[in-house]
Amino acid sequence: MLVFKSRNEPKLSKSLKHLKDEELMILVSNGHLDNLTILFDRYHLRIFNFFNKMIHNKDVSEDLTQDVFYKVMKYRTSYKNGNFTSWIYTVARNIFSSYYQKQKKQSASTLDEKFIKSDEKLDSDTNEDEINHLQRALLKLNHTDRELIIMNRYQEIKYAEMAEIIGSSEGAIKVRVHRALKKLKEIYFQNI
Amino acid sequence: MMECDKIQSSLVDYIDNNLSENDAGKAARHMKTCKNCESVLKEMQEFLSVIAEDEMEQPSKNLRKSFEQMLAKEKQHSESKVVKLDLKRNWKWYLQIAASILLLFGSFLFGRYQQTKKFDQQLVQLKNENLASKQTTSLALMENRSASKRIKGIQYIEEFSDPDPEIVNALVKRMQNDENSNVRLNAVTSLQRFITSDTVKDGLIKALDIEKDPGIQIIIIQSLVKIQERKLIKPMQRLLDKEDTQPFVKEEIKTILSNII
Repeated sequence: MLVFKSRNEPKLSKSLKHLKDEELMILVSNGHLDNLTILFDRYHLRIFNFFNKMIHNKDVSEDLTQDVFYKVMKYRTSYKNGNFTSWIYTVARNIFSSYYQKQKKQSASTLDEKFIKSDEKLDSDTNEDEINHLQRALLKLNHTDRELIIMNRYQEIKYAEMAEIIGSSEGAIKVRVHRALKKLKEIYFQNI
Repeated sequence: MMECDKIQSSLVDYIDNNLSENDAGKAARHMKTCKNCESVLKEMQEFLSVIAEDEMEQPSKNLRKSFEQMLAKEKQHSESKVVKLDLKRNWKWYLQIAASILLLFGSFLFGRYQQTKKFDQQLVQLKNENLASKQTTSLALMENRSASKRIKGIQYIEEFSDPDPEIVNALVKRMQNDENSNVRLNAVTSLQRFITSDTVKDGLIKALDIEKDPGIQIIIIQSLVKIQERKLIKPMQRLLDKEDTQPFVKEEIKTILSNII
């Protein structure tokens, strides 16, 4: 897949692959749109999995991921040299939040419950029992706790970066992540 | 119990090796003695390992395809807009540059003006302070027991362009009363600069009555003659009448008196 990809890419982008995210994004914001492809390569999997863990729906997660890169592209000039990871996750969170609000309005039942019911794969797949059990437990958490765990454990974002994304202090994030993990752990062992 | 709460709140950091060596050691030691915490630790470790096993899922190929389409579209769109955008940005850009240069230059000038003003003020203040301290030193030196120190104090005064009346008074006192003739001599010489002042004139005239040293007597007479002080005549005559006045001083007085009259 990667080999196929690089054959199609212009030579310029290929030579820029060693650049930092921030440097690439500055190029993008200055109109060198091709560099967004490198950032897409670096981030689309993480962003997709962030959404997929949040809502456990691959199709919707793909749409939302697409939406993130669309926003990054459209609002490229508003990028101001900050930490790129924080920036793109801030965009992703905003997209999730508006999706969540929309869903809440459309359905009378709470969103989290709906996710569990809507996903048949969770119940049918017996090979990865533990993982599915974990996913079910994760979806039982409220979305703010879930988000904290996904960022910290799945996406391996550092506390300091999480604080920047969420808009809180590092210490407060640490405490909240630990509480969320404890909650999740209890749910997980309750129903095993 | 307090200890357990503390340990358990940092359990995840302990497992992730995020604790300091000291804290990690403390936690490890506690685990050995506390069965409860140990089981909580094991449970958490097991739980986190389940999370760690959870691998990332791959999106469908559609995601990349639609991203590339989106990008291509945007590129086309922005290329057609390039000229317009550039023009619009250019005059604004120049205006901004001009404004920033103006601001920079303006604040530089203002800053420099402020700085010089402040610096001048400081300099004057410093000079004043320096002068004051020198005057104090000079006054103190003039009271010193050592004659050479007193002379030094007198010589200090030569640096002052406009000394305090206090200084002049002290100088006059030195000239009239100092036991050491060298000090008196220095005082008289120093006072030449202030000869127009009435205190100095009166002081010199009074000194002429007291002064026994013929050399100093002559200097006093000469300095007073220079300004044609009328009051000088009487003390000069007194000096002339005195028996112990040196003959050459009397000579001097005589020539001066004949000149005045």
